[in-house]
Amino acid sequence: MSTSHPAETDADAESDSSRESFTGQGLPRVEDHRILTGEAEYIHDITPENCLHMALVRSMHAHAEIVSIDTEEAEAHPDCELVLTAEDIKSEYNPMPTGVGRIATGEDGEPAALPEWALADEKVRFVGEPVVAVVASDRYAAEDIADLVDVEYEAMDAVADGMAAREDEVVLHESVGSNVVDNERLEFGDPDAAFEDADHVVEGEYTWGRISGVPLETAGAVATYDEESDSFDIDCNIQLHTLVDNMIYETLGYEADDVRVNVPADVGGSYGTKIGIHRYCCLTSMASQQLERPVKFEEDRLENLQGGDMHSSDREYQMRMAVDNDGTMRGLDVWFVDDFGAYPRYPINQVLKPLSVLTNSYEIDDVTYEYDLVLTNKTSQTAYRGFGVDPHIYALEMIVDEAARALDMDPTEFRRRNLIRPEQMPYTLPSKNLYDSGDYPATLDRIEEIIADERDGGLLDPEVVAAKREEGKYRGVQPSVIIEPGASGSDWTDRQRTDKDDLATRSRDEVEELPEHLRAEIREDGSVHAFLATDSSGQGHQTLVSQLLADELEVLPSDIEVGYLDSVDAPTEYGSAASRMAVMLSGATVGVAERLLANVEELAADHWGVSTDDVTYHDGTVDRLGGNDSLSLAEIAELDAETNAADERRTRVSYNYNHPATDLEEFDEALTSKLPVYPTAAFGANAPIVEVDVNTGSVEILTFHTVRDCGTMLNPMIVEGQAHGGIAQGIGAALLEEFGYEENGQPQAITLFDYLLPSIENVPEIQMEHTETPSPFTETGAKGVGEGGMIDAPASIATSINAALDPLSVEEPASQIPVAPDHLRKKLRESEQ
Amino acid sequence: MSTDSTDGAAERPTEEITVIVNGEPVTAEVEPRLKLSDFLRYECDLHGVRVGCEHGVCGACTVQQDGRTTKSCLSYAVQADGAEIETVEGLAEEETDSLHPIQEAFHETHALQCGFCTSGFVMATKELLEENPDPTREEIEEGLADNICRCTGYQNIYEAVERAADAMED
Repeated sequence: MSTSHPAETDADAESDSSRESFTGQGLPRVEDHRILTGEAEYIHDITPENCLHMALVRSMHAHAEIVSIDTEEAEAHPDCELVLTAEDIKSEYNPMPTGVGRIATGEDGEPAALPEWALADEKVRFVGEPVVAVVASDRYAAEDIADLVDVEYEAMDAVADGMAAREDEVVLHESVGSNVVDNERLEFGDPDAAFEDADHVVEGEYTWGRISGVPLETAGAVATYDEESDSFDIDCNIQLHTLVDNMIYETLGYEADDVRVNVPADVGGSYGTKIGIHRYCCLTSMASQQLERPVKFEEDRLENLQGGDMHSSDREYQMRMAVDNDGTMRGLDVWFVDDFGAYPRYPINQVLKPLSVLTNSYEIDDVTYEYDLVLTNKTSQTAYRGFGVDPHIYALEMIVDEAARALDMDPTEFRRRNLIRPEQMPYTLPSKNLYDSGDYPATLDRIEEIIADERDGGLLDPEVVAAKREEGKYRGVQPSVIIEPGASGSDWTDRQRTDKDDLATRSRDEVEELPEHLRAEIREDGSVHAFLATDSSGQGHQTLVSQLLADELEVLPSDIEVGYLDSVDAPTEYGSAASRMAVMLSGATVGVAERLLANVEELAADHWGVSTDDVTYHDGTVDRLGGNDSLSLAEIAELDAETNAADERRTRVSYNYNHPATDLEEFDEALTSKLPVYPTAAFGANAPIVEVDVNTGSVEILTFHTVRDCGTMLNPMIVEGQAHGGIAQGIGAALLEEFGYEENGQPQAITLFDYLLPSIENVPEIQMEHTETPSPFTETGAKGVGEGGMIDAPASIATSINAALDPLSVEEPASQIPVAPDHLRKKLRESEQ
Repeated sequence: MSTDSTDGAAERPTEEITVIVNGEPVTAEVEPRLKLSDFLRYECDLHGVRVGCEHGVCGACTVQQDGRTTKSCLSYAVQADGAEIETVEGLAEEETDSLHPIQEAFHETHALQCGFCTSGFVMATKELLEENPDPTREEIEEGLADNICRCTGYQNIYEAVERAADAMED
């Protein structure tokens, strides 16, 4: 491990080559200029000529039968172009595919269908569910017309609590008969024996409130149906457009090649959430097909917050930990309910991803992991940064705190005793994923040094702490080492749709991983154009690929332009999610560059009539050995154009980079048994210094120290930006954000006055240090880095609140996320009684 | 399903307004209910005015009206009749295409990621620095508290404002 500033990384790179390396530098981004000048085109800015606009009539009931829909007045409006209801779309299209597909149910085990139509059919199941679509010349008129639609409902009892939904007193889908649509219990090692033998067993219940990414840009889609080719062009800001495009073409009843999904280069944030916006793509496509004109839908913020299919994890945990008197963690028992809302959509595997970091940074061999995935009368879940790992890490760190308390042991010392040690790397978890590299004890030591400095004349100076307590303000901090699983495989993600009995005998050859696709071509002006098959939403992929490719081709990043492929031009692949792109794009870039340079050398050799052994490439030029001849990239591209047809150009290549786990035997067991495979383990330790005002229950974070390691940093500036943003979202989750619901299913957070996003006033100074432990499993040593802050910050803030209130003997103060003032005051009142 | 072929459009009252937008007068017939943000985005084709919430919380639509920042989603275009509006498109030097020092500072310090909030932050920073050319961190916090950024965690935005302040002082 090397502790380094970015500058030292650059020096390392230089020692390998006489040429300066762009990778590893904080190169400012190529994306910025168009954004800063207002020229960037986001989906809201795309309005083709002749375009019509859609508005949606949405349910105000959480659960109701649709008695009748009267559209007469709406249709009579002079600006009305089209009115669509479920009845209209059912005759021509399909339901949207659900996450669990067909669900085994009933005593005979017969599978039940669970159709989700793009417009509510017969019943509404959550507030905000679209019931009627109307289309008009502009959005203002469309809203007027939507107001004229009269829907009569017969209200039904609703269920808006995951634990209560398990009782099936109110059942969401009669065809299924139960709200529990998926569950699994996994056992690793011998947890029964561990819990029996251990000196103590501690238990705790923890709640993770319903939160989400809430990007500033809402969803949008512009669909154009072309009758002549009987195909669709859809511009939209969906995330993973090459993976989830089936949600659109299957619903429309078309082949993949007939539905071209294109995502603008600039998307105003997603953080996983926009994976689930296909409803809008489908509805605009259907309307466009009926009207033979482009149709646009732009979600507004109220729609987005209550019925935008974009909330995320909403969990109740019951944790148990078995520990011995000497502070050894013996066993772990994780049980939770995840409330998925009305339909179990794609990210159902969010309940499985925690298996990739099952015991976090601790060595615990005997573990049970069980979940119930339940449906309630709330808008459906989508993915959010961390993909279900954040609540797991939070609940785990809470039970660790509780265990330390039961043992009367210093919580940091308790953690240190159980850390996985560097000599155990690569370390195989009981759940079969591997941690690639890292020195966790050293990271804990470093954060402890930083805290020691704060105790010595800083924010935690004993005199200051004592004086503040007089005012009712309690300060504290509690670090832990937290893992960010990176570079997800794809094969495991359909575990819930797989017959588990087949997994035991599954062979390695049956594992199918999606590669990362990249194209590159040299133009006749000597410039290089690369094309990503993934979409981006602020991560700086264009900058990253221009840096990496410039190094591989020995040209300047400014010689390279990076564009995007739509879903038809790109193969099916995973895309940007699950902290994958740093790893996957570096592998793909190295591969595409090798292929391109081999062809460049061959073209030159053929031109000179010599063997490729007699030519050499450097700095954008091919030289003929032992001669004075040389050819630039521009000249090579010209030669290629003269000799080869457009579709046979050798200066146009593509490359599919295979997922790194596919070449590593270590992952065979996880791969064949469809357990989450995340071959990189970034890690870090946080020390947020919190101050709890016991009179108001409010929490202020005075400063946020963090020591982080994501392996080789490809662009330290972007790495830090990702960490800053993730931590800020973690602060929002820990203290501010929640989609609360009334018992009757009415949402409590439908504006940004209710769903509180952290402002500059809520985010303290983040003081960050890095170490760099390269991954032995990846092309450049980089590890995934996109989700870390959101995974580790909520747990660190919660443990720090526990530490701050330790002198008051409050029963598990941070037992609920967000740790909002009303929650803390309740806890404090209870402790005073 | 029903498509409607009625030719006559609905009667919608309009009013003529003239607004000076980035130094140029724009005269248009607008509905009284047309939001200023929509007027700028669709009548003036200034897409740098971003719309994130339409209820005055996120600040992505922040512009300057008669020298003061305003959230353009919270007022109507007719209320801006006769006013001078400046948007992010008005900042860069048109002839040289060189960025305004605030834009340059945001670029250099990586103070934007997805960029959807950026126009609003740049405009809010402009007002802040016009009123207070050398703000402290607390003053930056106060000056930018009406704008939300979901990507950067604000750390580099502090840096950007400080760098822009230095550059504009020179």
